[in-house]
Formats: sequence, structure tokens, C-alpha cells
Amino acid sequence: MPKIVHYRNKCIGCGICYQQQPLYWRMSKKDGKATLLNAVTKKDVQLLDVNEETAEANRSLIAACPVRVIKLM
Amino acid sequence: MKKKVELLAPAGAFDCIQAAINAGADAIYFGVEQLNMRTRSSEGFTIEDIKEVAVLCHANNIKAYLTLNTVMYDHDLQLLRIILNKVKQHSIDAVIAADFAVMQLCKELNIPLHVSTQANVSNSEAVQFFAGMSDVVVLARELTLQQMKAITRDIERKNIRGVSGELLKIEVFVHGALCMAVSGKCYLSLHAQNASANRGACVQTCRRAYKVTDAETGEELLIDNEYILSPKDLCTIGVIDQLIDAGVDVLKIEGRSKGAEYVQTVTQCYREAIDAVDAGTYTQEKIAAWEQRLATVYNRGFWEGYYLGHPTGEWTKKPGSAATEKKIYVGKGRKYYPKIKVGEFNIESGSLKAGDTILITGRRHGAVKEQLHTLTVNGEAAVVANRGDKLTLPVATVVLPTDKLYKIVEEVHA
Repeated sequence: MPKIVHYRNKCIGCGICYQQQPLYWRMSKKDGKATLLNAVTKKDVQLLDVNEETAEANRSLIAACPVRVIKLM
Repeated sequence: MKKKVELLAPAGAFDCIQAAINAGADAIYFGVEQLNMRTRSSEGFTIEDIKEVAVLCHANNIKAYLTLNTVMYDHDLQLLRIILNKVKQHSIDAVIAADFAVMQLCKELNIPLHVSTQANVSNSEAVQFFAGMSDVVVLARELTLQQMKAITRDIERKNIRGVSGELLKIEVFVHGALCMAVSGKCYLSLHAQNASANRGACVQTCRRAYKVTDAETGEELLIDNEYILSPKDLCTIGVIDQLIDAGVDVLKIEGRSKGAEYVQTVTQCYREAIDAVDAGTYTQEKIAAWEQRLATVYNRGFWEGYYLGHPTGEWTKKPGSAATEKKIYVGKGRKYYPKIKVGEFNIESGSLKAGDTILITGRRHGAVKEQLHTLTVNGEAAVVANRGDKLTLPVATVVLPTDKLYKIVEEVHA
């Protein structure tokens, strides 16, 4: 099963992930960074098991994120 | 009476703050979290560091300014409030900002505000506008000396006062990187890699080499330099007397993403230059010596920016830095023997021998450069220290495990 990984501590809060995929991402009002919805957070790294369709929808974010903190595994 | 100008140094990490203090800065500026223009490139401080920065600076009688100069979005406002509350709590001396949300919140919280160069203030009406909410205005970096002078003259003539009640102060950049665009108005990095410079994520698209090709014929057009988008660095050490004479109050050094040795060298040169102008001992010989020292640390070649009214920019000739010296990582701090003031370092890479120039950087030292005369390796006198060895040497301040040891070598440019 594919996994979306978000290294949240390096996020600069530009909002591109939320703009492109609002179903899966939110901008945290608390610290201004992106949050991957429903993900498990371990030491500021967010992990979310997803189906192929969701993985595909988020694939463009790997390149879109300016600090490259979104990965698909 | 001639007024005393303030020398403002950049700090991207604690060793840079110490270097700025050692080199004679009057103030430092730093950024925290992701709301500053060096989010990508500098090590960065966190909200928790604000207290330590304030304590360290104030204990050394220098001021500390926090930069909050990115574009702000709605989702940033909560973090912004948290940061500003910490600024207030720990008496950070001012906030540097360009976004109106930050200005408004500073007003609400009664925090002194400096208007960032990102606001591109270029005339005295704009200065007057910002005087209602700030104490210092950093001018656009694209002005000429005459334009600066007209603005400072207007401040006196019209008695333009800042929030504190004192005459509004004018700050200008004296040294460091310049943008190819009017500061804060560049979208190159955003277009090329989605990385907004105005969120501190600039990937420096302008610093690369480019070719101009005729799309119809495929022919490459002749241009005299491939680095057509990369301006040389600003250096005003040779015209600092004219800048002071133009009536500016604060002289700012760019470089929050640079290392402690950069902050040390550049701050020290400008400190000496300002003091020399003050004492009437500012000479061509000294300028030449300062220029030589400034060239030892990171630079893309120097020019006086737009201050002297050059019709066009001067462009970088080569990729990367034209520094005449470079630092090579050798090892890190291990422990310190305070009674005998000796530090021990683990050599992790390369080697050191007597006669080598070393650089120690760390939060207690800043950047200390010295020559190795004798070597004590693994407790015994030796000729060379290699990887895996423990090197001990006299060091005036405490050596921490986070300290880094470098070898300084000459960099030859073709």
C-alpha cells in the first residue's frame, strides 16, 4: 500500500499542497504549517497509508512542494 | 554634533551572534520558524530561542531585532501572534516587517517596528506614511546616495518622528547579496520551482548561468556573460563616509544564511571603517586592506550597488563564491579543560599540521581564526593530526561538542 510522508518540521507553510489537494491537506491555524489529514504523526513526520487513487492525486505535490518535504513511498 | 551610526549584523545561528558581538556590532537581526526571508537557507532559530537570543544580546549591550518579513497568509496569523507575544515577553528591541498584519499587531502590542526593505520605501512621502507606525525605515536597496540624502534631509526639515517620539531613523544595506529584481518583487524562483522567495524559499534561480537562444533559428545570441541575472555583491567599504554623510542612522549587513566567520570578518571591517570615519582616519590604504579582508569570505565579486547611480548592474562572472579563502571541515569539539583553558577536538576528516590556519566556530566563540604553532595530538607533541586523532590546543572560551573546527586554505580562482 502506498504511503504519503510529510516531513512537517521543514514545512514553510506556503500552502501549495492545500491549494492543490484540499481534500487531503489543511493549513494549521496553530503553527501555520501544512497538515496531512488523518495521518499518524511521529516526531513531526506525518505518515498516511493511502490507496492508489489517493497516491496518484497527491503525486504532483512531490514536485510542487518548494522545500520537497512531501514524499510518496 | 555628528550622530553615531548603528552597525547591524546578520545572525542565522548562535555562533553568528557571538561573532557579531566579538566583531563590534551594535545590533543583530535574526529570524525564527518559517516567517522570515531565509527560511530555506539558514539554520534558523525557533520560538524557544527568542529568550536566549535576547538574554545573550542584552548581556553584551547590543540590540536584537526579529525579522518577520515574509508575505503573511491567514494561516500564519496565529503563529505570528505567538511569536510577537514572545518578542514582547523577552523585550526583543524591534520587529522588522513589511506585511501590514505584522505592523498592525506590533502597534496593538506596543512593539517597536522597523519597516523592512521588502516594503521598498523609496521616497520621503512613503517614509512619512510609515513614521506613524515605526521608528526605523529600511530604504529600498535600489536608491542612489542622492535619493537617500534627500530623504534624510526631509526627515529633519519636516521633523518626521517615529512612534517613540524621536526623529525617524533611516537604515540602509552596506554589504552582501543583492537581488536581480527590486527586493521582494521577484517571482523567478516561484515560476521556476514553485519556491516563493517571498516566503523565504528562494532557490536562487538568478545565480545560474544562462544562454540566450533565438527560438526561431536556434542560434545562440552573443552575450558577454552567462550570469546575466546574477548581480555582484554590494560592498560599500570604500564609500562608507559618503553613506554616513548622507545622514543614514543604521548600516546593515546582509547574510543570515552565512557562517560565523563571514559575520565576524564583515562586521569587523565595517566596525573599523565606521570608527575610522568617526576619528577622521579613513584612508585609501585602509580601504584597500578592508577590501582584501572582505574578499576572503563568501562573495560574488563586489560593486557599490546602485548607490553611486550606476546605469546598470554589475553581474557575477563565475558560479558560487569568489572568496579568496575557504574553510575545510576537520573536526568537532570534544571537551574543555577550564583551569588550563585548553580545548580538545576530534579530528574527523583530513589533517592539520603546524603552520596551518584554523577556524573554530561555535556559540561561545563566534568565529576564532588563528595559526597552529605547535600540535598536541592524543596527549603528545606531534607534527600532524590525522583523522581519528584527538587534538588539544589553548582556547580562551569553553569548547562545546557543537563547536566545529576547520582548516583555512587559500582559494585560487582562475
